[in-house]
Amino acid sequence: MAGAYIRGVGLSCALGEDSESCVSAMQRRQVQPVRLRLDEFDEPLLMPYYRIPDRSELFDAGRFERLLPPVARAAVAQAGLTTAEIRRLPMFIGSSCFSIGLSESRYATALTQQPETAIPMPLCGYQDIAVILQRTLGCEGDTYTYNTACTSSANALLAALRMIELGWYRQALVVGAELANRTTLAGFSGLQIVAETLQPFDAARKGLLLGEGIGAVLLSAETDSASRLRVIGGASNCDTWSVTTANTDGNSVAKVLNQVLHQTRVQPQQVRGIKAHGTATPTGDAAEARGLQQVFASLPPVSALKPHLGHTLGACCVNELILYAGALLRGFLPATPGFETPDPVLGVYPLKTMDAAPDGHYLLNHFGFGGNNTVLALEKTAP
Amino acid sequence: MIKIVSASHYLQPVNDDAALTSLESALKDLCREPFRRIDRFIQLALLGSASCAAGRKLRPNCGIYLGSGLGPIGNNIVTQEQLIRDAEIPKPFNFINTLGSSAGFYVARNLGLQGQNFFISRRGASLQAVLSAVMADMLLGFVTQALVGAVEEVALPLGTHRLRQHLPQDILLAEGSHWLLLQSGAGDSRSLDLQRFAEFTALEDFLGSAWQAGDRLCCATSMDNRVADTLRQGFAAGALPDADGAFHDSLEAAWLAAFAAGSEPGNLFLVDGHRQRGWSLFHLGA
Repeated sequence: MAGAYIRGVGLSCALGEDSESCVSAMQRRQVQPVRLRLDEFDEPLLMPYYRIPDRSELFDAGRFERLLPPVARAAVAQAGLTTAEIRRLPMFIGSSCFSIGLSESRYATALTQQPETAIPMPLCGYQDIAVILQRTLGCEGDTYTYNTACTSSANALLAALRMIELGWYRQALVVGAELANRTTLAGFSGLQIVAETLQPFDAARKGLLLGEGIGAVLLSAETDSASRLRVIGGASNCDTWSVTTANTDGNSVAKVLNQVLHQTRVQPQQVRGIKAHGTATPTGDAAEARGLQQVFASLPPVSALKPHLGHTLGACCVNELILYAGALLRGFLPATPGFETPDPVLGVYPLKTMDAAPDGHYLLNHFGFGGNNTVLALEKTAP
Repeated sequence: MIKIVSASHYLQPVNDDAALTSLESALKDLCREPFRRIDRFIQLALLGSASCAAGRKLRPNCGIYLGSGLGPIGNNIVTQEQLIRDAEIPKPFNFINTLGSSAGFYVARNLGLQGQNFFISRRGASLQAVLSAVMADMLLGFVTQALVGAVEEVALPLGTHRLRQHLPQDILLAEGSHWLLLQSGAGDSRSLDLQRFAEFTALEDFLGSAWQAGDRLCCATSMDNRVADTLRQGFAAGALPDADGAFHDSLEAAWLAAFAAGSEPGNLFLVDGHRQRGWSLFHLGA
């Protein structure tokens, strides 16, 4: 399998507003969530939240317009594309929120100013991220927008990889975007799976913490002297056990892991590290752990990155890929803050401290509502 | 070779003074279990996919590729009203059903599928996006059988639905659920293939060599009108059934599914593209 090289990245998340400073902040375990309080409900909604450290108000309607373009520009600039290549550049976008925050703001304003003509969902569809990016980057290529919950940007990246392998495109920009909005915050609160601390695979884990982030990865069929990371494959399947979690027996997770290993011709013992999905929900971690146990007789080092930036939902694949890839390039496997007490039932023990990251193969897990399981394989080569 | 093994086509115009057609009774016959907490978008997806698969035993790893321009708009409206107008936490099933992948989940569950399950959107061209994705996967051998659909829901009142989409107030709206069952391999059924061209002249040349009397040509609704007119004039294309001009965001799916489900002879060519991004030609073989 030819795969596709990572030629450029851009990232804005709770860790910082460029990819290098984000990796440094992750290395230093620097970030803590802020405390959110939404007062519009009968009972105030309180939760920790990993926000991008920009200066704007969290629900400012203009944040997408401000925060998206610099991230995408950084990825494109790093790859050194020509103007003609940028104009043709296809985009693969993954998000679970899209412009819902802007839609909420407009509806709320209309209800205040002209309630009799206020229209719910004044913005509909999924095109706004692509429209903003095409306008600001000067792209006119094809767009593919994925909405498969927390696997959205993983599936977007998988599609980009496959179309590059077919020769349909030479390059592709893959973008994951998730910004704070009331629907997501209140929706997850209603599901009662938001915790106070994020402790993936820990015996005391109680649930997830949300975060926001925008990431962009420029994938290319061609390598250059600086490209040491290549996405070499991926697979996806659907588990219909429950709409909110994979079956806790781990079978569908094991199946998708085995598909990726088979497809990439990598043996389990050749895997040098795993970036877990690690939401820290009791059932989510159980399904992932049992799936891993079925595939690996001896687990390679596991890193769960959500304690560094929160669960960025539809964008989590691209955001965490950039952090994990950045760590690999610096030679380390990330630690998992929040993991203290092993859960003997799970048998997965994420790294408490950083470890060395050798050249070789790595797996990145992603699971989402709607039964979506998607795993990607990455190869790090010597300079 | 990719074959279209079966197709289903549901296109229901919605009149200004009428309620939406109830789908409950049809779903009772088509679904193997009574699903609770599903919305109209999911109902439409179940209706179309189950009709397309009716009488067939699908492979467990059959992929699902669902496209939509607007997604579950009715449920999203209810959720936003709960949250913003009523200052209430959205009900869990309303929140979960805001995700496009929820519809694919129920389709998979109803048909006993465990393969890839994607929701893909491209405004005004979602069918082209899902067809590109599924054909890439089938050409690379990751998928050998796939259900490919486009679903568009109408949310009442119609005037507001038109406003949201910036449509003229006199346009006739329709709901749709249009599906193709694709399979790799040989057989008598129609073939489906995709040609990609960097230059428009190459597309014209190809069409010129492939075109036969009685063939049909569709130009995507998102195409530049002048380019589309050039093609229509050049290939004297016959009109396709379009439910008296009723509109939804994935009309190309309605054209293709109607053609594939029917018994007309000849080829159907669907053209989409732009001078910068190149041209795609989806070809339903005779």
